[in-house]
Amino acid sequence: MNERTDKLISSLLKTGSIVAGLALWHILAEYVLNDPTFLVSPVVVVNTAYEMLFVTGELYPHLFASSWIFFYGFGLSILAGVPLGFVMALNPTVRDYVNPWMTTLYTTPRIAFAPILLLWFGIGGGAKVAIVFLGCLFPILINSYYGMRVVNREYVELARSFRLNSWALFMKILLPASVPFILAGIRLSIGRGLTGVAIAEWFGATEGLGYLVFFAGQTLNIPTLFVGVAAFAVLGILGFEVIRRVETYATPWRKQSQGG
Amino acid sequence: MPRKEIVRGCVSILTGLAIWELFAWLLLENELLIPPPSSVARSFWKLMITGQLNKHFAATLLEFAYGFSTACIIGVVIGYFMGMYRRFDEVMEPWIATLYSVPIITVVPLIIIWFGIGMISKVIVVFKITAVAIILNTAAGIKNLDPVWLELAKSLRLSGWETTYKIRFPGALPYIITGMRLGVGRALLGVIVAELMAANAGLGYLLRDSSETWDSPKLFVTVFLLAAMGLVSFNLIKRFERRMAPWRQSAEWSAE
Repeated sequence: MNERTDKLISSLLKTGSIVAGLALWHILAEYVLNDPTFLVSPVVVVNTAYEMLFVTGELYPHLFASSWIFFYGFGLSILAGVPLGFVMALNPTVRDYVNPWMTTLYTTPRIAFAPILLLWFGIGGGAKVAIVFLGCLFPILINSYYGMRVVNREYVELARSFRLNSWALFMKILLPASVPFILAGIRLSIGRGLTGVAIAEWFGATEGLGYLVFFAGQTLNIPTLFVGVAAFAVLGILGFEVIRRVETYATPWRKQSQGG
Repeated sequence: MPRKEIVRGCVSILTGLAIWELFAWLLLENELLIPPPSSVARSFWKLMITGQLNKHFAATLLEFAYGFSTACIIGVVIGYFMGMYRRFDEVMEPWIATLYSVPIITVVPLIIIWFGIGMISKVIVVFKITAVAIILNTAAGIKNLDPVWLELAKSLRLSGWETTYKIRFPGALPYIITGMRLGVGRALLGVIVAELMAANAGLGYLLRDSSETWDSPKLFVTVFLLAAMGLVSFNLIKRFERRMAPWRQSAEWSAE
């Protein structure tokens, strides 16, 4: 079998799998279950998505509300996480004191904090941003810490033999070496941030994609529910892809980054 | 862990608690916002002797255990076949990738509509999260197996079953355990979310109940329990990982 037929078969198999799955779903929804409060055919879902996007434009306010929360929390977590990770890496005393709190916060299922944050910040934007922030913070912090810790010793020794001062050492050696790790952390935190958005909007919101999904669930509006879930998936994949592009652009010396 | 680190950690935690207690007593009249640790402890004791805590804790744990164990078995099997047979991998991949990229939290309402508010829906949530992580990692582990080992198996004339059992499975084990570790944290989140949305028992239910009745000490008890659960499961799986795959160095913390 030559390479071309091989590739052809594999793409055929992939599309075949998708088509067969969708067909099965359609048949199940239309002919077997036939209950629109339980499952609807993919055709209906696509129609609903089309309507929400281009006819009524219903989706956009939700999309904007969610993006605002997401970018706010995400940006804050980068601003806080990277410096804190660096400080912890460079100063073991700080690390030892911060560590127990951080491990606890990190391993606790994030949703546990949602009611407390809501209690403190009210149901406005503050609590939502805080929930997203808390979700995104730890992958970024941990990867910044780790990136700075595993900098190749030879580079540091080289810098010493060139008599670089600590600031130059930081800017020229430590920072660039930890960039791939930080980016890996950012990539991880996108998914967590989106989950955070969904959680935040479920607690007392009047708009946003998370609100859309949960409201649709409560009212058994299955087509809208599917559209909301798909919107989350698309955003996640898009964000992931963007960061990957940034990674190849920002760290051309590495084929692929590790860490995380 | 060096001794200094432990001492500092304990000092940090105790100081934090003391400051919190003082802060709550001196500055805040209202227990609603930040209850002092002492009243959290009282609430914990009360919940424990009435047996409520046991009930909710057991419910969550059981849901988690059912979902997790089935996901381990089925995930490893599917992942194995995906790693072994490229064609099967190509058929499954679009669907697994879709499942992977959808944030589970958003699917929870759907799962509750389909499987009801009882235990089954939570088991399904845990299962979905863990299974996807394990499938992907097992497949990666089987694919990335060092070809030298397979040649060794051939020259030793191992049968197909023996190759799987003695070469492929141990080779993929570190990957499988990584999948499990990733699954644990996310599944814990998933089960709590599902319980929050609709349930009649479980820690997530307790969380919702206490936040809706403005019972802050109880809310904090639940949060502490969840934190403890997260910490214990994280450390257990890390230990398990070190024990089962000691040849693999693992990072101090590994991000999700």
